[in-house]
Order: sequence, then C-alpha cells, then structure tokens
Amino acid sequence: MSIENYSYLKELAMGGLRLDQRGPFQRRKITLRTKVSNHADGSAYVELGETKVIAGVKVLPGEPYPDRPDEGSLNVNFEASELSSNYPADRIIYSVEVGRVTDRAIRESKFIDMKKLCITPGSKVLFVFIDIYAINNGGNLLDAANIAALAAILDANYKVEGKEETFKLPFNLDNMPISSTFVKIGDAIFLDANSLEENISDARLSIGVSRGINSMQKGGTGYFKEEEIERCVDEAFRYKEEIKDMLIGKTER
Amino acid sequence: MYEERFDGRKFDELRPIELETGIIPNANGSARFKIGGTEAIAAVYGPAEVKPKHLERSDRGIIVCKYDMMPFSVPDRAKPGVDRRDMEISLVISNALSRAIMLDEFPKSMISVYVYITQADAGTRCASLTAASMACADAGLPMRDLIAAVAVGKIGDSIVADLSKAEEDYEGGATDIPIAFLPSKDEIVLLQLDGEVSKEELKKAIELGRKEAEKIYELEKAALKRRFMYESKG
Repeated sequence: MSIENYSYLKELAMGGLRLDQRGPFQRRKITLRTKVSNHADGSAYVELGETKVIAGVKVLPGEPYPDRPDEGSLNVNFEASELSSNYPADRIIYSVEVGRVTDRAIRESKFIDMKKLCITPGSKVLFVFIDIYAINNGGNLLDAANIAALAAILDANYKVEGKEETFKLPFNLDNMPISSTFVKIGDAIFLDANSLEENISDARLSIGVSRGINSMQKGGTGYFKEEEIERCVDEAFRYKEEIKDMLIGKTER
Repeated sequence: MYEERFDGRKFDELRPIELETGIIPNANGSARFKIGGTEAIAAVYGPAEVKPKHLERSDRGIIVCKYDMMPFSVPDRAKPGVDRRDMEISLVISNALSRAIMLDEFPKSMISVYVYITQADAGTRCASLTAASMACADAGLPMRDLIAAVAVGKIGDSIVADLSKAEEDYEGGATDIPIAFLPSKDEIVLLQLDGEVSKEELKKAIELGRKEAEKIYELEKAALKRRFMYESKG
C-alpha cells in the first residue's frame, strides 16, 4: 500500500469514515453455502466481503485423553493456506492465532456437549475435527473462520460404526459462540475490518459471545481503554443475534 | 467384465464439469475446477523474486508448485500438510506447467502455484493440473497452450475415461493412467500409469485421453472467454 493511501485511510478514520462507505459497526456482506465437500461430515463455505474460507467437520472415533475418560474431544485447526496470501509471515501468525481463538470460543461456550460424545468411558469417544482453510484473505479471518466453523458444525451429520442412521452433533443453540472482531485506527473503532483497514490498524479486539463472553483476544501493538472494550462487548452481543439468525435459518432449512 | 459403469456413464463420458477463474482476488491468477466429486482450487502468485536464492536460474524462470488435500476432502481425515504423495504430485504438476509456460521470458524469477483439493473422488492430480493451468492463464502468463488433463484407465477389460474412486477400487482390477496434453501442440506433458495394460491398450487409452482432453480444452477456452467478457463489461 502506498503512503498516500495510508494517510488517507487514517484521515478518513479520524472522522469515523471508511473507504467502502460502511458505518463503523456495519459488517460486510456474508455469503454462506453448506455441504460443499462430499467426504466431510459437515462443511461450509463463507464469504465475508472478499474474505473467503472453507470449513469441514469430521467426527472420528478414538481413545479419550486419560484426564477426561468420559468426554469426546474438539480439535480446531485453521490454515491460512498459500491460496489466500503469498506472504509466509502473515500466514504463520494467522494460522495459529485464528485456530486457537476459534477453538476457545467453541470450547468454552460448551456449544458442543463433549460428554455426549463418549461411547465407552475410558476406551472409545468421538473426536470432532474442524479444519478451516482460508482461500482469500480480505481481512478479518477471525470472524469468517468462526462463522464457517459454526455453519459446518450445524451442517454435520455423522455416522457411527455399526449403526445405520446418521447423527447430529450434540450442540446447544443457546450456547452458540459468535465472534465479532473490531479494529482500532487512531481513536476510531470499526467492526469487521477489510485488509486495508487491518493493515493500518493499531489494535484489534476479538470477542466471542454466547450467553456470556467466552473468548477475547486483543491483537496488534496499540491499546484499548476500558470504555472502548465495553462498547465493543455491547456491539458483540448485538451482532450475535444477527449472525445466529442467519446461521440457524441457513443450516436448519 | 466391466460393461456398465457404476454411475451409468458411457465409457468415454466425463463427469459433470464446473470451471471458473478469478475466484481469489489476492492472487495474480486463480481457478476452480470441479469434475464429478473432485474439486481443485488453484492460485498463482508471481512472477516474483526467487526464494530460496539457490534455485534461481539466470536464463529462465522457475515454477514452484504445492499440492495439498484439505483434511476433510477424503473419507478418512488427511493430516494437514504435505506428505510423500503430495510431494510427487506437486512435482509432476510443476513439470507439466514448466512446458506450458514460456519460462524463458522470466529469467531470475519464480512463479508459485498452489493447489488445494476440497473434495476428492479420484483424478485429483488431473483436476489440479487443469485448475493450475487455468489459473496461470488467468494470471496472464504467456503460455504455449492451456493444459487439459484427464485420468483414463482400464477397468476389467474396458478402456474408460475419468475414473471415479469406486472404479479405481474395482475388484476385477483397475489401471489408472493420468494424462495431460497441450491439445493444440499435441504434446503429452504428464503421464503416469498404475496397474497393468498391454501395448495396444495403452495406445487405445492415450487416444481416448486425447479425445477427452479436447472436451476439457473447449470448456477451458469458454471459461476464459467468459472471464474476459465479464472484465470488459467492468
């Protein structure tokens, strides 16, 4: 990005304005498709503006961890694949952080009841693998990954050895953790930054909320004031309903 | 005897094809190619500076290719990352592309090609190569021709085109022959064989491959025209 653009975007941000004319707390358009991969138990493709991700869920039997003999296990893996960007440094940072933050929100909200994924205590449980791949990075991979993961979970129909019927994952919709990510540019706070805004932002805050707040992650080298965090949390709760309606409407049709 | 195909296709019939380009705005070129239950997404970045430096060639550019399967693309979960099979496929794809792209126009530079499989039902290397070639064309790289790739093979005693996974696993024996052409030059730029065929059967298989590749070639050209029509309309 050129220096002129940089200062122009900063200048706009001072007045609370965005280059794509969105309001500060307005998301980009979301496109969601499910059942996009045949061999996955559940899958989803999400476009958030120019950001594109694909997620697949696989439910496979395995041995429980010794400290939790009667619980299944959740494994969220995010890859900022080479498709999405040609800068290795970008990809390594995003791959780890996005995967871990997405994992935390789903795990801590107890969206999936891990106890129900136990088949024989101590010897056989189900592992839920959620693999998310970035296809294009147009900013805010965190929220795109969260939506894709949730949509793939809702979409999942898995089979268990020795049984004919398929099963839905034991999720509780009231606990669905929705992520909202904000960036701070100067004193302005914007929801759902595109990659230009992400590049010039000073700090970033991701908040995953279900009934309560389940995950937070501050990123970037800048800072937030307490009242700014409170504002973001309020917005996160407001946007949770919107995304949740979209996900339920789309995947339970 | 394999007289009727599992999915009811004719012996020389391809599975339904979807093809689009320009799906990844960050990349210089990109494409998605779907044939039946197999789908590949390809992105091309470059030409750019060669890294690591020792790969650099002073007289021409190089192609670095990475092929990988998404973990959920196969019946068992594929561990993320590149295994030996992925490495081999990356190599044969990059070899084929090196013939198609006019690399002597890019001395001291590198073209990176990335292909990911989102779902697999046999023929992934051919789908990958077709997608990669479309992505290169979408990137505007000078090419001698597009690449059209298809898996042909022998199932039982029949020579068939575009094998599905069920056919590859046919109990009576199946031979898989991935093959790729530069159709207008009539050059074969990828050829592998896994199984057993006679000389006559191989000849028949290559002829069938050429005929099928021609069909894919027409679809590729149509997809590129659509792309440029769309671009010129802004």
